[in-house]
Amino acid sequence: MSAPISILLCALGGEGGGVLAGWLVSAARAAGLAAQATSIPGVAQRTGATTYYLEIYPEPLPAGAPKPVLGLNPLPGRLDLLVSSELLETARQVANGLPSSDRTTVLSNAARVLTTAEKMVMGDGRRDAGRLRDLVAANSHDHRLVDMTSLTTQAGTVMSAVMLGCIAGAGRLPLQREHFEAVLAGDSASSQASRRGFELGFNAVTASGNTEWRSVSRQGSSSESVRLPQATGEGGGSAPASEAAAAAAIVSPWAREQAARFPADVHTIAALGIQRMMDYQGAGYAALYIERLQSILSAERAAASHTHPVTVEAARWLALWMAFDDVIRVAALKSAASRLERVRREAGAGPQDLLKLYDHFKPGVPELAGLLPAPLARWLIERDRRRVARGVPPWALALRIGTHSALGFLALRLLASLRVVRPWGSRYQSEQAAITTWVEAVMQGSREHPELGLEIARCGRLIKGYGATNERGKRNLAHVLDHLTQRDSPALTRAAAIASVRDAALKDEAGRAFDQALREHGAPPRPVEAKPVLWLKNPRTGRA
Amino acid sequence: MEVSFREEIDALRLGAGQTFHGEGILAITKALLQSGVAYVGGYQGAPVSHLLDVMVQARDYLDELGVHVEACSNEASAAAMLGASLHYPVRGAVTWKSIVGTNVAADALSNLASPGVTGGVLIVVGEDYGEGASVIQERTHAYALKSGMCLLDPRPELGQMVDLVERGFQLSEASNMPVIMELRIRACHVRGSFETRDNIAPKFSTRHLIEDPASFDYMRLAHPPVTFIHEKLKIAERIPAARRFIIEHSLNELMAGNEHADLGLIVQGGLHNALIRSLQQFGLADAFGRSSLSMLVLNVTWPLVPEQLTEFCRGKSAVLLLEEGQPEYIEQELALALRRAGVSTPLHGKDMLPAGGEYTAEVISRGLLQFLDRHRPQAVDSSVRNWLESIVTRRQQVQAALDQPLPARPPGMCVGCPERPVFSALKLAQQTVGPVHVSGDIGCHALATFEPFSVGHSILGYGMSLASRAGVSPLMKRRVLSIMGDGGFWHNGLLTGVQSALFNGDDAVLLIMKNGYTSATGTQDIISTPGEAVRDRAQDKRQSLAHENRTIESTLEGLGVKWLRTVHTYEVAKVQATLTEAFTTPFQGLKVIVAEGECQLERQRRVRPWVAARLKRGERVERVKYGVDDDVCNGDHACIRLSGCPTLTLKDNPDPLKVDPVATVLEGCVGCGLCGENAHAATLCPSFYRAEVVRHPGMGERLRDRVQGAARRVLQGVFG
Repeated sequence: MSAPISILLCALGGEGGGVLAGWLVSAARAAGLAAQATSIPGVAQRTGATTYYLEIYPEPLPAGAPKPVLGLNPLPGRLDLLVSSELLETARQVANGLPSSDRTTVLSNAARVLTTAEKMVMGDGRRDAGRLRDLVAANSHDHRLVDMTSLTTQAGTVMSAVMLGCIAGAGRLPLQREHFEAVLAGDSASSQASRRGFELGFNAVTASGNTEWRSVSRQGSSSESVRLPQATGEGGGSAPASEAAAAAAIVSPWAREQAARFPADVHTIAALGIQRMMDYQGAGYAALYIERLQSILSAERAAASHTHPVTVEAARWLALWMAFDDVIRVAALKSAASRLERVRREAGAGPQDLLKLYDHFKPGVPELAGLLPAPLARWLIERDRRRVARGVPPWALALRIGTHSALGFLALRLLASLRVVRPWGSRYQSEQAAITTWVEAVMQGSREHPELGLEIARCGRLIKGYGATNERGKRNLAHVLDHLTQRDSPALTRAAAIASVRDAALKDEAGRAFDQALREHGAPPRPVEAKPVLWLKNPRTGRA
Repeated sequence: MEVSFREEIDALRLGAGQTFHGEGILAITKALLQSGVAYVGGYQGAPVSHLLDVMVQARDYLDELGVHVEACSNEASAAAMLGASLHYPVRGAVTWKSIVGTNVAADALSNLASPGVTGGVLIVVGEDYGEGASVIQERTHAYALKSGMCLLDPRPELGQMVDLVERGFQLSEASNMPVIMELRIRACHVRGSFETRDNIAPKFSTRHLIEDPASFDYMRLAHPPVTFIHEKLKIAERIPAARRFIIEHSLNELMAGNEHADLGLIVQGGLHNALIRSLQQFGLADAFGRSSLSMLVLNVTWPLVPEQLTEFCRGKSAVLLLEEGQPEYIEQELALALRRAGVSTPLHGKDMLPAGGEYTAEVISRGLLQFLDRHRPQAVDSSVRNWLESIVTRRQQVQAALDQPLPARPPGMCVGCPERPVFSALKLAQQTVGPVHVSGDIGCHALATFEPFSVGHSILGYGMSLASRAGVSPLMKRRVLSIMGDGGFWHNGLLTGVQSALFNGDDAVLLIMKNGYTSATGTQDIISTPGEAVRDRAQDKRQSLAHENRTIESTLEGLGVKWLRTVHTYEVAKVQATLTEAFTTPFQGLKVIVAEGECQLERQRRVRPWVAARLKRGERVERVKYGVDDDVCNGDHACIRLSGCPTLTLKDNPDPLKVDPVATVLEGCVGCGLCGENAHAATLCPSFYRAEVVRHPGMGERLRDRVQGAARRVLQGVFG
């Protein structure tokens, strides 16, 4: 007795999973086979994950013969084919126990579509794709990972067409290529696009010709392939190849020369840092960077170490902090020579198309005050504070600048040219003071214990972004330096405390995890910030 | 709605001897016409939306047949429509999603079932239960029991489902009871085929009108004192008549076993295929459904026929009942019947199968294993046991390999959804006003309960958000916000919410999402949908047309709403300000904010062909796409926490110094503008840009671009 062939399709809403199921039923019918498909679309027609289940009876039946009874939901471990448009969804079916190593062929997209939960994390919440791939490999008889996303874009079609090609190419169904192609027949543009996608999917799967682990993703083409952040990895020794390659492309010979004054393991990152200072402010600023890095290096050497993880780590965060983002920097980046071409590419503008490019800015008082000398800045900020205390929102100027237009471009270039007066601004001065405090803490920590120095250096990660985000980061760092670096406990205990508090600080905007971690390590939580209170009159109680 | 069901409508016309290929719910639709139905109504909802959608679009053909179709305003109005069959010998069918739809319809159903029907009545409900369901997990069965309505649960094979529709009408006429046909999600969406019959034009129809109304008959009213007689009739006449019909026409299928014929399986029709697939794993059934165990397939799950059940069980070594959902109504009735008949055959059901949840083939297999272990251990091959154990082991291994569970991927609002900006604005408004209690509702806006918004304290039913705040807001220091879609507003919210709040002088805040359609159920038209004429007239097909229909506003004004604001959802700062005003104004009483923005799904269906045609003609087309400058993006992802748009995602940071991934906008961006609005309203980092790509620009435009390009190059040189 033949058993029906069991097929599970996984797709996200809008990827054409229902269409694909329909195609497979039609293809089976064209081959004279009984087939049945069903699905549970519900509200997942939006962008949620959903599945389609099919059974095909593998033998043609004479007319009038009894019909096979086909199932409506998959049996775990009895699945012949699992086809999925997204890697994490493939892994989800593995977690459900559906595919098995003795039976199931898995055809999955190698690319990821990140879930909102992964995307909304403040740092990097993406799941390790390598681990997902391992799961698929361990729980399938054979599998192919194909970058279906790229193939879909390349063919200008919908994912379902590429998936159909992959299914045809895998050869697990008792259907011939022509049966599949028959369902895509037609002269319309969409039918032609479907056939292109089918062809690409078919070739991607058949190209390997074996059942070994294989990913036909074009190197680096998958926009959501996961790269682990090197900076938080242990050791921090030599820079990985990709980083070195990227560095080589943007670093000038001068910067490389300057970086050569550092030990070999610091070269790449220091060169990048020096180059960043050159782009940001100029040679004098680069010299300041070098000087700061040298002093960290000598503190680290005092602890007699052969490698220089603290310097490597500090080199990165020092560079990013010193090149703090301000209006001048943003204007420079927004009016960079190469930008318009890049935007044209990203927006998919053809050579004959016109591009109008608008940028959204909303500078507030702190941004403008940062450009002014300290006394003037203080006065301006005080005014804004009084305004907020009256219950009026802080002043900000919402701008939409047409960067493509001569006038808009002129405004940006003018703003960018303020670079020369930057060092006189209050922001510059306050940033340098905070940087010095941190650098000194790194040095002092390094002298005490390399591990402590390293953890303090890594705290540079807390500083990022603009406006409120940036302010919050600086306050958090200052709090860590004030309360966790100089205490009576052993250096290693403090290093561990700093590491855990730092990770907690990156967890949520409100800083709840941060406060919690501080308390756990015996440090006071952050002081309560003054915030204007909005009194709502409640007429029912007659009280405000 | 702009979805076209042309192929499906063609399939409705198939005649005798032809083959229908398609979905289960469309097969049912065809079956209604083959049964000579005179009127059809209902309210949309997965998994039965297509029945009504196709009928509505097939109006021309149905006019030929004389069949009336009504897109009802809610399930109660659909159920009340069945009143036509009280007096007149006309067949009628209605459809909705159950359990929720049946709850709404319950009043009319009770009042229909009590006097009983003359013409056949079929209620097709989508039993939204188990994987893929979006409503509370309850059984429609309870309604059949309490009101005295037959309940069909057909074997999920298209031919059988279609036959049972026809039989269902006959059963209704033979017993005077309304008949419910429950279809599980997977049965509604199953793709198969069946041999069609000719459609039957109803005897009385929109083409052949009823000459005179029926004469007055108090017995047809659900009004005392005849309600007491109705109850007696149900017991003494209707149920027995239904049982006779069920037996005479073999609606339940008896399938004798061979090797283990002394073991019995009683199964709800809808579970038959899963049971067969499960038996196959034990080697106890073949591919064509021939089972070694005897089987009674209940295509009618109420009323049960006690004689049929006891006869099946008598002499069996043991019987297993497969009944999905809880409470176990059938099992209780079966046990009682066996007890009364003195049949002592061991009966198993929920003792071996889980009390709740979907009965998948795996779940059934585990129950079957217990049953066979107890009563026929020699029939169980060790391979079955190994298979079931290996599933558990595999799941445990995978769980161990993952250090944390995989993130869920719930449905979300579409790319360019006009409701998303409202939740961005609400998040921002709460930063100044403080957190507010949000009373949620059914509709696309309920997707805001998922990340990144996680908004909504309660969902009490469709259109119930304003009503469900009536107890909360008097006790709450800050004002409570109720959110409702236009679908919910017309379904129920206008009366249960608005009218009640006005009458009681409640200090309430209601936000109505006016997107023009009942979008969550498949963008069906409602009374406030922008009309076809408006759509045709619109010069720029991309613009939202929601504002063109002011039925909601004029209704609210007519009812006496004094504080009414209309905002365009994409103006985030303005929506934020309006919300803040509503929360803080000294005005006492109902405050309504109408947030306008046409459903993006519908808009795109209109825009795509329009743009394609213009491009083909070589006319100017402007396309907007947002993007992120990754050297400016701070990797903080605040923009994502304020949006959740599927096209706003992350990529590796191309800057070798930075480690956190940067935001990026995928190709699917429709240029809705939310990213820019949020950047301003929330003062996000200035990394977003808006790119307007002009295809086929005019001469003047091209010239201007040249001049500006030259100026840019000069400036680049001067300041570079």
